[in-house]
Amino acid sequence: GLVQSCGHIIPESPVLALGSNFTALCILNESCLDFGNIYASQIIWKIKNRLVPKEQYREINRTVSSVTFNDTSALATPLTCNILADGQIEQNIYGITVTVGLPPEKPKNLSCIVHQVSRFTYVMTCTWNPGRHTFLDTQFKLRYSWPEEIFPDCIPKDVNNSCTITDIQFFVNTEIWVEATNALGQAESDPLVVDPIDIVKPLSPQNVSVSSGVLPTVLKLSWENWISDAVMTLKFNIRYRIVGDTNWMEVPSEDTASPRTSFSVQGLRPYTEYVFSIRCMKEDGEGYWSDWSEEKTGITPED
Amino acid sequence: LGAGQSIQQTYDLTRYLEHQLRTLAGTYLNYLGPPFNEPDFNPPRLARAERVPSATVDLDLWRGLTDNARLAANYRAYSRLLCYLRVLDGQVGTAELRHRLTHFCASLQGLVLSIGGVMSSLGYPLPAGPAGPPTPPSTPAAPNDFLKKMDDFWLLKELQTWLWRSAKDFNRLKKKVPPAVVTLRLEARGF
Repeated sequence: GLVQSCGHIIPESPVLALGSNFTALCILNESCLDFGNIYASQIIWKIKNRLVPKEQYREINRTVSSVTFNDTSALATPLTCNILADGQIEQNIYGITVTVGLPPEKPKNLSCIVHQVSRFTYVMTCTWNPGRHTFLDTQFKLRYSWPEEIFPDCIPKDVNNSCTITDIQFFVNTEIWVEATNALGQAESDPLVVDPIDIVKPLSPQNVSVSSGVLPTVLKLSWENWISDAVMTLKFNIRYRIVGDTNWMEVPSEDTASPRTSFSVQGLRPYTEYVFSIRCMKEDGEGYWSDWSEEKTGITPED
Repeated sequence: LGAGQSIQQTYDLTRYLEHQLRTLAGTYLNYLGPPFNEPDFNPPRLARAERVPSATVDLDLWRGLTDNARLAANYRAYSRLLCYLRVLDGQVGTAELRHRLTHFCASLQGLVLSIGGVMSSLGYPLPAGPAGPPTPPSTPAAPNDFLKKMDDFWLLKELQTWLWRSAKDFNRLKKKVPPAVVTLRLEARGF
């Protein structure tokens, strides 16, 4: 064709903040000027083949034309520099991709919970509000550290508002924060300083069993706690209802506020089938209640 | 973090480490194999084992130390034990055991940090030397596999004894700190 790579645009592939202004330059090669009899005054700027109003052009000199956008919201890809030489058809000189977006906002509402997933395994899941949509590829990192010890970053997978850390250390105050980064900047959440032992949601009591004794108004519950005393001591909630009834009754929490693996529920109706369920949490009230345990039934003796 | 809370947290961590080490040591000694995993295996302490901070102390002497001196001794011991343990961690052949050793090393690093926090909260200077674990003194590698395993055996044995005694140290210290300093655990904690 008439013009073969006769120029280029700078900046090459800009990432621009939404609402800011932007100027691009199209620079013609001297070699083409002589050969093609073309000048910067003949340059036409287009966005996606749509003509940019001439008022936005400025001829810098014989080889350079600039175009200015007061608000990048009107910009799109590609932005092209073209020449309409005398009597010739319009030719494209160069084109660039333009990416318009926003810098990341400060991630907010960072909160974390440690889930006990098996007898000896705990994972900490942190969630946060990632802030407004940035229209750009924005990377989030969950970071955590002790003084003099920074742990490997947790990189979210397929989401931008949560991450799960699989190696948790208890009984040391840990500083946790979120970092968001894209081409237009970086932002950090406020740090959360917490001892992971204080945000645990333990597994619910396991292997619950119900047994009756001599007294017609008493049933004894037994269960296993799958969390070692060296990790935490527990308190419990016990709820029960008559089979077929929908209203749960609850054992007063002060009666089950200390570590145990059994409890005798009193004041029941003789010769009646009851359903029981138990949950637990850290004895000092820090952290979260476990899910309710599997429901187990038992029948009180006849009177 | 107030002194009381810092001591309570360090006490909890020490007991947690004891708990972890109980199962970890059993698994590791099985990894070493007989005679190291036999319950009644009680070898003499070889000269080589002197490198590892011995947990054997004169209890009266130990009790007679000031809180500062006792905390500093704990701090130095765990700093050294940690770096020997990290050497162990690097040599273990099975992924599961290595993962558990790495986790335990991080917990032990947390203990060194916590003891430092207790000392600072009580106004005591940290023992001289970098906060991180010192590099292991250059001692000749064990001349044979048996002695290498003996080194590992003594390291775990000493560590268990240190943790057992440290839990008592911090339990006693917890009771000595004036109640005014002991703030409720429910309060938000600074860093």
